[in-house]
Amino acid sequence: MGICMPVGLPAPSQTPMSSSSYAIETHGITRSFDSRKGFLFREVTHTEALKGIDLAVEQGAIFGLLGPNGAGKTTFTKILATLLLPTAGQAFVLGHDVVRETDWLRPRIGLVLGGERGLYNRVNGRENLRFFADLYGIPLAERERRIDEVLARVDLTWAADRRVEEYSRGMKQKLHLARGILHRPSILFLDEPTIGLDPKSARETRKLIRSLVADGVTIFLTTHYMFEAEELCPELAILSKGRIVAKDTVARLRHLVGGDRTIEAEGYGFDDRELEALRHLPGVSKIVTEEFGPVSRLTMRLRTAEVQPERILALLPNHPELAVRERQTSLEDVYLDLVEEEAS
Amino acid sequence: MTAPPTFSRSRSTYASLRLSVLQFLADPQWLVPSLIAPVVFALVAFELFRGAGPYFLTYAILGAGMMSMWGQTLYGSGWATGQDRTFGTLEPTLQSPTPYLYVILGRVLWNVVSGLLGGLIVYLVILAVAGGPPAVPNPLGFALLFVFVMLTLASVGVIFAAFYVYTRFAGFIQNVGEFAFYIGTGCMFPIVLLPFVTNPISLAFPPTWGLDALRYLSIPGYQGLSWGFWGDLVGAVATTVVYLSVAGLVFHRVERHVLEVGNLAEY
Repeated sequence: MGICMPVGLPAPSQTPMSSSSYAIETHGITRSFDSRKGFLFREVTHTEALKGIDLAVEQGAIFGLLGPNGAGKTTFTKILATLLLPTAGQAFVLGHDVVRETDWLRPRIGLVLGGERGLYNRVNGRENLRFFADLYGIPLAERERRIDEVLARVDLTWAADRRVEEYSRGMKQKLHLARGILHRPSILFLDEPTIGLDPKSARETRKLIRSLVADGVTIFLTTHYMFEAEELCPELAILSKGRIVAKDTVARLRHLVGGDRTIEAEGYGFDDRELEALRHLPGVSKIVTEEFGPVSRLTMRLRTAEVQPERILALLPNHPELAVRERQTSLEDVYLDLVEEEAS
Repeated sequence: MTAPPTFSRSRSTYASLRLSVLQFLADPQWLVPSLIAPVVFALVAFELFRGAGPYFLTYAILGAGMMSMWGQTLYGSGWATGQDRTFGTLEPTLQSPTPYLYVILGRVLWNVVSGLLGGLIVYLVILAVAGGPPAVPNPLGFALLFVFVMLTLASVGVIFAAFYVYTRFAGFIQNVGEFAFYIGTGCMFPIVLLPFVTNPISLAFPPTWGLDALRYLSIPGYQGLSWGFWGDLVGAVATTVVYLSVAGLVFHRVERHVLEVGNLAEY
């Protein structure tokens, strides 16, 4: 593992406070790392984790950030949560500069990085929360009530007095969440909040996230689960290789990748003449073929409803084995299209 | 938007101290460095120097006690921060409104208490083995100074803890430096026996002065750093004040550095 060093630092901001009403506003956020390996013969690897991120997130909403592993989601989240300095650019959270106004921001920000780490394992869940309640200055008269409240909200009251080292991964995730909301932040950064949770707990967590928004909290969510993003986020962005490749509502993103209708057909190989014929059908914006052993899958993106599966079957008479199905273009389709496009 | 509550330095320090106690009580392995190691150090010193006269024995026992307390008070403070890295608690703690220095102070205070416990155990062991250590002319002064020497160790502990925030390699540096510290501060033998050029380094550590003052107070006719008891006391107070004064600045700078390099999650 190498040591990471910054590549330059941002010039001090002349106007640290943003005049906008956005919960998050970033201008050209860049973050580079130099990783060093070796003792006698040092090998330096330069990585640009973020390459000029411009983003604006409305207050009181859930905003989703999707991206493959290594896209820069956690790096970006840490910059917004004041845990990392950008190499260049400016970021404002709740209208305040994340580099120069950390003292103002930290009591108002909640951060849930999740995972197995980040908790004091030898003491119980309640003591973990008590420690952080004290660091956040939650009034002593309110502290115990507030701890009970958040434990109940994440359904962990029953295990509050058990040592954290006895917790399952899902229970630890819930405790992370409880800690993140303990001080009633105005904005909550959630990095993969349902990772490791069983389906029931994940659903309860999504319910909790929605209830926090109802309380007026802005949520910034990174996730790998497309259905989760689709269910929770009215607006989202896709981050790939340190760049935002798209930012919009799910409906508009579907349009961006060629339409909200998708027809899939599976058969034993399609020749060029057949594919060309399909490409000329009205409303077809994109055709992709994938091979799974002897089986070929044809995926067609359509902008209009003119072409129905029956017409596809009629155009491919040499494929009696053909199975055709129609579905709505999913967020996963959008995500894969955009990320693959960026990669190529 | 309602203003959030503001943190309190004293409450954050107490919270950290309380958590340290809970973690100590939850894990019996800590009995080894805090309770058993001082006994071993004291017994070894006693057996080695029992025939060398009562005051030489006092000299050795004080040094042995100091070495065991190094582990508890100074090393413990840095090590706890290293644990923060390992368990991933450094990030959420640094992200809270409380400056990390106050979290460290809480830990250091607990380590001072457990260091004093180690000193008490050394006393009890010598009492049991030899019917008591050689009489100290001014027991009250000795006890007060002993507590102060623990604080001098703690002041070094605060600065060492900053290294653990700075880099995950701090444990390696501290392990290498442990024996140099024993020798450099005069725990093992008088620093006048060391090459002259190393003396300024020794005098930069508050425990060097504190330990020498303790020996002045407990060994009649003792000739230590040649500034006498009061000179040692002034030196100990001055260096401790310097360490504690720069601690805030050091932590501010270190915190800025780790946000720049982004190595908080490394362990």
